[in-house]
Amino acid sequence: MDHSIMIICEQSEGRILPVTYELLACAARIGGFYNSSITAVLPGNTPDTDAISGADLLVINSPGLAEYTAEGWEKAALLAAGELKPNIIIIAHTSTGYDYAPRVAALLDGSCITSVSGIELSDGSIRYRRSGFHGKLDMLYKEGKQPLVITVLPGAFPAYDQQAAPGMVRYMNADIQPVHTSNVHFSISDQSNTELEHAEVVIAAGKGIGKAENLELIREMAACFNRSAIAGSRVACDNGWLEYNAQVGLTGKKVSPQLYVACGISGSMQHIAGMKDSKTVVSINRDPDAAIFKNSDICIIEDLEKFIPAFIREAEKHHEGRV
Amino acid sequence: MKILVCIKQVPDQESRITVDPEKAWAGYAENASYWINRYDEHAVEAALQIREKLPGTMIDIVSIGPARVKAAIRRCMEMGADQGFHLRYEHEDYLSPSIKSRLIAEFCRDRDYDLILTGVMSEDMMSGQTGPMTAARLGIPSAASVMKLEVDLEKQCLYVERELDAGHRCFMELKLPALAAVQSGINRPRYPSLSNVMRAKSTEIEEISYDDSLLDAKYETVEKVLEAGSDRAGLTLQGSTAEKAAALWQLLHERSLI
Ligand SMILES: Cc1cc2nc3c(=O)[nH]c(=O)nc-3n(C[C@H](O)[C@H](O)[C@H](O)COP(=O)(O)OP(=O)(O)OC[C@H]3O[C@@H](n4cnc5c(N)ncnc54)[C@H](O)[C@@H]3O)c2cc1C
Repeated sequence: MDHSIMIICEQSEGRILPVTYELLACAARIGGFYNSSITAVLPGNTPDTDAISGADLLVINSPGLAEYTAEGWEKAALLAAGELKPNIIIIAHTSTGYDYAPRVAALLDGSCITSVSGIELSDGSIRYRRSGFHGKLDMLYKEGKQPLVITVLPGAFPAYDQQAAPGMVRYMNADIQPVHTSNVHFSISDQSNTELEHAEVVIAAGKGIGKAENLELIREMAACFNRSAIAGSRVACDNGWLEYNAQVGLTGKKVSPQLYVACGISGSMQHIAGMKDSKTVVSINRDPDAAIFKNSDICIIEDLEKFIPAFIREAEKHHEGRV
Repeated sequence: MKILVCIKQVPDQESRITVDPEKAWAGYAENASYWINRYDEHAVEAALQIREKLPGTMIDIVSIGPARVKAAIRRCMEMGADQGFHLRYEHEDYLSPSIKSRLIAEFCRDRDYDLILTGVMSEDMMSGQTGPMTAARLGIPSAASVMKLEVDLEKQCLYVERELDAGHRCFMELKLPALAAVQSGINRPRYPSLSNVMRAKSTEIEEISYDDSLLDAKYETVEKVLEAGSDRAGLTLQGSTAEKAAALWQLLHERSLI
């Protein structure tokens, strides 16, 4: 085997996180094609680590790797790459991954494809699929200079069989100290919003509502339903129309109500990540090409300033028994 | 203090894109309008706010692209940036962030920037690579998805808050020079003032030449652009506004949702 794939485990305080098994699944698909050896790399400061299923594990240990820094992780990645000579490096597209993965690619002078959502095998080579243009288009990439660093979207690959035989564990003691980064600490967000978390119907506002006053339309629409709550896209929260505890998406809340109504939301992958498990999705958008329509059960191509009042009138008619 | 803000001009998101199956790239309608990448506007604003606290700070803007890009650079100067630099690249095709970051790193080489700011990603490509790659090539630290930044000149450091998944935060200090890729929500970009608009009119945007051989490196390429796949049935309602409203009510009622 002269083709080698290296994945970098996603971890928290030395504990390997489940998304790592999605990286392994992705590696297995690519590895099946090139007949590659697959090694997982764990940067950290953990003297005892359990083996993982389906791949050998190389633990890069250093006191300077006790917590994540881009600097520390890139040094660990470079060290491991020197050892494993990977053709492909796979990293999770998380807030950690997208912080350091492009740096690793640059330092190894390889290629880089971020937020990969799928892999296509055809006529003797591999294409990497990712989304762009506000989610409207998908792009198929071909690798270039090696190594190729890819970051994989969480959820894009079903996790690798954790029952597979565990691989070997090897330790490498390193002396990695971040020199440009200091005083690292974390805070856990306390953005609870029980109304939104328990709602059966979520009416969500995007930048397309245009102005704060139009939030009234969203509220009135929500009032047409039982157990409803209002929410918003990141831009709606950035604009100060809604509190951040009402943001749905990758960096906001994940919701899965019976009904999700997206009003003036374009449908970027980061927003979809927070609402894709909703039972029924309705979208109101004036752009017929908006990506949100690809993720909707019912599509309404309309100006929301006209459509929402019409819908409210309709609901009132039924409420008053006029139909 | 010298700050560089790297910006990209992107097509307005409601402009029509067409996918030509013969071509490896998406085409925009002739009359497409272009704008500064929204995240980069936040980066410009962040630079301006630093200058308000640290008078004497110089803010440069750099952008890669065809002639139209000058309008975006000019807009940043209208917001208050001091100087604009343009790296001409004429083609409307995929240019790898690896190459972009090499061009920008080359541009930075003798210019001694203390701080480089970019947006966390571009709205069209959404790759989020050019910033961190530029920093790596210059051998300086970087942080992506920055929600707050403060410069401490005495300590020669940049205090940053990064946004993590699910809204958690990470705080740290980076030694200057450093690069921060800023996330939306960090600030509210200002509108140009009349005096800055006048000043920007009379300031030349300098075109910078670069070593063309940098464009030859064989990084990843985009082979094909396709319509995004569809995950749901996607029933499009037809008729007048009132008819659609009635149809929606009916559909939701059938599903016992209203
Ligand atoms: C690291 C990272 C994390 C992120 N996390 C999140 C997240 O958690 N949640 C999130 O939402 N985003 C997130 N984003 C941002 C995301 O990429 C998008 O920028 C954002 O979701 C866009 O919000 P929007 O759809 O409201 O605005 P836009 O993309 O501007 O879309 C507005 C839409 O409204 C439509 N419209 C305009 N006027 C009208 C009208 N009168 N009637 C009907 N339709 C109209 C337009 O056609 C357009 O489709 C994140 C980005 C990054 C880089």
